[in-house]
Amino acid sequence: MTATSQEPKTATKSKRKKAKGFEPRIVAFCCNWCSYAGADLAGTSRMQMPPNVRIIRVNCTGRIDPSFILDALNQGADGVLISGCHPGDCHYSTGNLKMQARFALLQKMVESAGLEPERIRLQWASAAEGDVFTEGVKTMVETVKRLGPNPAGESD
Amino acid sequence: MIMAKRIALAQLTSCWGCDQSLVDLHLTLLEVLPQLEIVYWPAVVDYKLKDLEAMPDESIHIGLVEGSCRTKEDVHLLKLMRKKAKILVAWGSCSCYGGVQGLGNQWELKELLERKFLKADTVEDGRIPEEEMPGFTESVVPNTEIVKFDVPFPGCPPTSENTLEALSALLTGKPYDLPEKTVCDQCPKERKEKSITKFKRAHEGHIDPDKCLLDQGYLCLGFATIGMCGAQCPTVNTPCKGCFGPPPGIKDHGAKIISALGAIADMDPEELEKAFPDPIGSFYFTDYGASYLSKIRDKEREEK
Ligand code: SF4
Ligand code: SF4
Ligand code: SF4
Ligand code: FES
Repeated sequence: MTATSQEPKTATKSKRKKAKGFEPRIVAFCCNWCSYAGADLAGTSRMQMPPNVRIIRVNCTGRIDPSFILDALNQGADGVLISGCHPGDCHYSTGNLKMQARFALLQKMVESAGLEPERIRLQWASAAEGDVFTEGVKTMVETVKRLGPNPAGESD
Repeated sequence: MIMAKRIALAQLTSCWGCDQSLVDLHLTLLEVLPQLEIVYWPAVVDYKLKDLEAMPDESIHIGLVEGSCRTKEDVHLLKLMRKKAKILVAWGSCSCYGGVQGLGNQWELKELLERKFLKADTVEDGRIPEEEMPGFTESVVPNTEIVKFDVPFPGCPPTSENTLEALSALLTGKPYDLPEKTVCDQCPKERKEKSITKFKRAHEGHIDPDKCLLDQGYLCLGFATIGMCGAQCPTVNTPCKGCFGPPPGIKDHGAKIISALGAIADMDPEELEKAFPDPIGSFYFTDYGASYLSKIRDKEREEK
């Protein structure tokens, strides 16, 4: 943790910050039964969607441990999007409600830590709602563009 | 007769409770004392830093480091202990995770100094001490992120029995591994399927001494906390605050806790969130310094 070992890293990082047209890197956890299918539909129906999202498919949003989200931010993701079935529609009945409760606590924790809770977003999108999924991604990308790069971002 | 092992016990920023827990062994201490040659223990004997500095490298068999690095002097002593000791033990939750003082990482150092030395109610004509001071570290991180440790030994403090067990293992050259079990595994209370509709503060309501405290709506963190203390708090009807940190393999104590709360709380998200006005203080009592959130904030600081 010496100052010297940090310098090259900082230099690359601030380059990323200054670079015009910052393109956020967003990790999206999508539940298999709704949102992943929704994202797929958005793709097959050729809806326009910003290319900033890397999708990770999970069986259910109830399977997403809050530590996955924090780990992603710690590894430099500029934002984390969680997309699942609408309340009442979860394939495992209440996984999404558990996620919703965890999300409320997580956002509060992130805020208390002095970080930006807007970097995490929770949305519902069914398998038929390619458009809702796409809109969610767009909103997220805009929000994160406004916030700028995750200051914890690793340069690569 | 066995050759006595050279041992050093160093204190960084801490409450010295880990030392207290060791001396609380009283006469049992005599079981291990003959096998120990104490070469550095300023808490008890008048050793100076230069005594430690003068020792040859790796000349200490077992080094115990209590406390975490809030000052630059702490960092110096920690690195010195690493150089001089063959086996280095992260003694207590301060050493393993940063300790209670890690909660300060929610603020900038400047804010902390102003709060303590200028704005506290009891302060008149305050000033931030700077002369003849070693200087503060920007944040509190686990010692294990500054130097390599051989044995993590959490607890705030580890119980006297824990300490005896660990010392005896180290003295006989046996491995000392942390258990995978949780405080709940050690707790005698009766548990049922959990569905919590309201969280209560410890002083609210009336505790049924036979039943699981969490089932009754008290935030008992036994389920997310490594079982080493024998569930000493819940046994006397006090909710576990998680002071020993999580079991091995759990990367983030608070994340684990909110994950479980999300599953067992039968409440609106807003209601749930309102039940914990200080989530970091409640979910990371001694290990905020080891959390993802604290690491992310540290990276932000470096960036600035
Ligand atoms: S771990 Fe706990 S008991 Fe030990 S020094 Fe730190 S605060 Fe005190
Ligand atoms: S009282 Fe606490 S430690 Fe005991 S079983 Fe319940 S949650 Fe676990
Ligand atoms: S019960 Fe929990 S708070 Fe109490 S000593 Fe054990 S780990 Fe610490
Ligand atoms: S299956 Fe989609 S959120 Fe549970």
